[in-house]
Amino acid sequence: MTGAAGDGAGDGTGYDVVIVGAGISGALIAKRLTTAGLRVLVLEAGPATAWTFDGYSAHLGHFYAAAGKGPESAWPPAVGAPQPDTADVRTGHGYFVQRGPDKYGSSYTRLLGGSTLHWLGVCLRMLPEDFELRSRYGVGRDWPIGYHDLEPYYREAEWEIGVSADVADQAHLGIEFPDGYDYPMHALPASYSDQVLGKAVNGMRVTLGGQPFALRVRSYPAARNSTPRDGYQPAGAVDERVDGQALARDLGQRCQGNTSCTPVCPVQAKYNAQKSLAQADRRNLRVIPQAVASRVLVDPVSGLVTGVEYQHYDSPDSPRHVRRTARARGYVLAAHAVENAKLLLASGLCAGSRVGEGLMDHPALYAWGLSPEPAGAFRGPLSTAGIDDLRGGAFRASHAAFRFDIGNDGWRATTGAPDTSVAAAVSGRRMFGSGLRRHLEETLPRQVRFSVAVEQLASPGNRVTIDPRYVDPLGNPRPVISYRVDDYTLAGMAAATDVYQRVFRQAGIEDHTDPAEGAWFPSATYEGRAFRYHGMGHFAGTHVMGTSAADSVVDADQRSWAHRNLFVAGSGSFPTMGTSNPTLTMAALSLRTADQMIKELTR
Amino acid sequence: MNGTRQAELNRPVDVKRLRDLLQAAVELELSTIPPYLCALYSLRPGSNDEARLIIRSVAAEEMLHMALAANVLNAIGGEPRVTGVAHVPRYPHELPDGVMLDLLPFCPEAVEGFLKVENPQYPHQGAGPGHPLVAGRRPERHLARAAAVVGGPVVGGTVVGGTVVGRPVTSGPATIGAFYTEITDGLKETAAALGEQALFCGDPARQVTREYYYAGGGSPLPVHDLASALAALTEIVDQGEGEPASMYDADGDLSHYYRFKQLAYDRSYLPSDDAGAPTGPPLGVDYGAVYPMIANPRGDDYADPGLRAASDAANRTWSALLRDLEAAFNGRPETLLTAVPAMFRLRDQALVLLANPLPHSGGRHAGPAGRMRPPRRRRILSPNGPMAAPPISA
Repeated sequence: MTGAAGDGAGDGTGYDVVIVGAGISGALIAKRLTTAGLRVLVLEAGPATAWTFDGYSAHLGHFYAAAGKGPESAWPPAVGAPQPDTADVRTGHGYFVQRGPDKYGSSYTRLLGGSTLHWLGVCLRMLPEDFELRSRYGVGRDWPIGYHDLEPYYREAEWEIGVSADVADQAHLGIEFPDGYDYPMHALPASYSDQVLGKAVNGMRVTLGGQPFALRVRSYPAARNSTPRDGYQPAGAVDERVDGQALARDLGQRCQGNTSCTPVCPVQAKYNAQKSLAQADRRNLRVIPQAVASRVLVDPVSGLVTGVEYQHYDSPDSPRHVRRTARARGYVLAAHAVENAKLLLASGLCAGSRVGEGLMDHPALYAWGLSPEPAGAFRGPLSTAGIDDLRGGAFRASHAAFRFDIGNDGWRATTGAPDTSVAAAVSGRRMFGSGLRRHLEETLPRQVRFSVAVEQLASPGNRVTIDPRYVDPLGNPRPVISYRVDDYTLAGMAAATDVYQRVFRQAGIEDHTDPAEGAWFPSATYEGRAFRYHGMGHFAGTHVMGTSAADSVVDADQRSWAHRNLFVAGSGSFPTMGTSNPTLTMAALSLRTADQMIKELTR
Repeated sequence: MNGTRQAELNRPVDVKRLRDLLQAAVELELSTIPPYLCALYSLRPGSNDEARLIIRSVAAEEMLHMALAANVLNAIGGEPRVTGVAHVPRYPHELPDGVMLDLLPFCPEAVEGFLKVENPQYPHQGAGPGHPLVAGRRPERHLARAAAVVGGPVVGGTVVGGTVVGRPVTSGPATIGAFYTEITDGLKETAAALGEQALFCGDPARQVTREYYYAGGGSPLPVHDLASALAALTEIVDQGEGEPASMYDADGDLSHYYRFKQLAYDRSYLPSDDAGAPTGPPLGVDYGAVYPMIANPRGDDYADPGLRAASDAANRTWSALLRDLEAAFNGRPETLLTAVPAMFRLRDQALVLLANPLPHSGGRHAGPAGRMRPPRRRRILSPNGPMAAPPISA
């Protein structure tokens, strides 16, 4: 679709800014810069197959046909832009070279739209204390900016993305909103399981690190369309066709509860970055998909970036490509935490800094059980609420914070239910006919699943590197990942396990958590207890921001210390991630960076 | 003699007549929806993706039009009705301009019918030959209420934006557009004669707004005065027919008529195309990849008890949906929230019928009949109020 995203900006040089990556960071920056009149070229490594609704439907077909419904099942990669796959974590094969000692369990998507094509859409803000962990609790690092610096951009990000939530629910744990503000859409209705659990759990007291907490099932801010508040128009599906008719825009203006947010919302009621890209000022935008940035060129004297070399491939099925160079006044790498680090390393940029170091995720545990009463499993968006009262507190001086996502999808993610529940009843318990039916009707709606996301701090040993022995079909380096789940996180897992077990007991949920019965996940051991953890797809911390070139790669504006016309955007800039899904914070940072760029480039 | 006096002489101010016209408009818009939905649901999964989007987009806009017409009716103190035998369309169904609506699967004749419904220029004449399966059919209601209402004493043309729109003398307006012109003129004249505030006396709380309504294709405008009423009615006509002398409506969307022309040509219009044959990419229309539903299914003649039960279930859902809509149009707009799952249920129940061949029907499949059914009674009502059902035997 070269040029189909708008070729008003011409096709040679004369761009103000080149952006590498059309995920949420790149799309938000492109939208803001083009709207301010700057001419922008976006290079996207993956194909633009989801840019028309017809193409998007083909991805839906991939999902339907896939035997496993993992996060990648709808989004097969191009030969020229390979991507990690969670199915490879066990075998050790695949795009990532895993150096261990522990496995990194997450994946991302290299397509126009990026990983927002498959994300769940949870849009939690980080807590004020997450920005100052070192000062408050003596662990991790402090950010060079605080919650209040980012707060206006959180609001803008919530309106750009289209987040459904009520301020009344979300103002806790120190999170503050200015008077009169609310999210663009009302909170999604609570799922039945949220209501059932809420009745049993709300008000329950636990003590952690000597500090008492009252637990509550709380609705999540979600990037899914619900009932709009004044003046907000929910954005439907993207359908950028040559005939300009875009009939699928009518789809997805409200969440329909399809329960497949990850990996694919059939109607695009869930936000994806293509929506922002489509809203850019198209006269000033050119998008080149299937263009893999392979090297950032630098003037050795000034240190300024002079161009981005990219490989343009014709077919997603072939590595055949041509090399080109894109030039502009300013440059943004928004290719993903891992890809940004990889590209900086491959280009020899930011030498002497800590590029690649400090890789984080939210290693997460599953807990599953049977509720005493039907809890409405398998209905509604995958997750609409959680228990997040233990995201902050003095206990963080000694172990990680955590939060519980409440699943609406039964034991699907953990054991492969409902299919495996049927198989177990038929072959294990010899059930058939009406007895089988009764058994399934009696048990399936009672399936409850928690996902326990545990905080991880940046440690220098957890890193992305490159190694000339490992390259992809275009000759670009594959990410080499070194990763360890440290004791701070493992102690958090132990504490989280104790709390979830108490929550289950309180709600009368019969604990069926048995990693041996569930799907395979990597494990890590702490004080004799083994924890099976999975990745949350929350990559962060590979080009950390800080207050000086001595201890960080970028400054608070995400500008490279070493190359002053280069911005490196995304969750790679995070010094800490707390327990928030990183996307909203990444979006807020991107908007802030865009404002800074506009200030300078339109002078 | 000033214009107002002239209007009074020609057409006595009659708010009741305006309400009847707007009720007819609500019914008119409602009656177009089941034929679109039948064609839409008859498409087999994995085929006709473009046709699905086109038909769906038009159906969604007809729903918007129904809500807009209800808003205008509410604004002048009416009570929109979409339940009950008098208001629920039965098929074949005749529109005020003589177009015959049938429930058909997606097929060339169905597309031909859609073009007639949406044709701004459709002349006042009898329905064409239609689908061979419906040859010799008689409409269940020979002339829609709308036609009867507008076939009043009006004589001569109507002035619209300085142009005289001609009209047959004694029958109803020749096109749906002319029908709406009749309404807009009536609103203007009545507002002038009675005063705008007196005419627009409806309770604003009865307006259906975007908070509760969405179907893509635009937002329902709240109507509270002449200007908003005219804007709502313009939206209805404009989306269907396009702006005067344009293939596109004011939002830049292709009008319904030209959207359907693309199906007939199996090719999409590019922005550079004029109203002739389109030159865009092919749409992949595949009339073979369709559940071949019988025309105008009735349901109660299904021999198979399973199909009869499925038909009954679909009728009940349709009825529940219409009751929700009527409640939403009568002061409880939040009822639209429960109407949404009803629409999904209706689709799923229609698909059960559509997937099933009927014995002795030449390979034709069953389909939804769209009949109004009373709510399933959970309690027996007595004059003294609800009471538990008595045991069958002691």
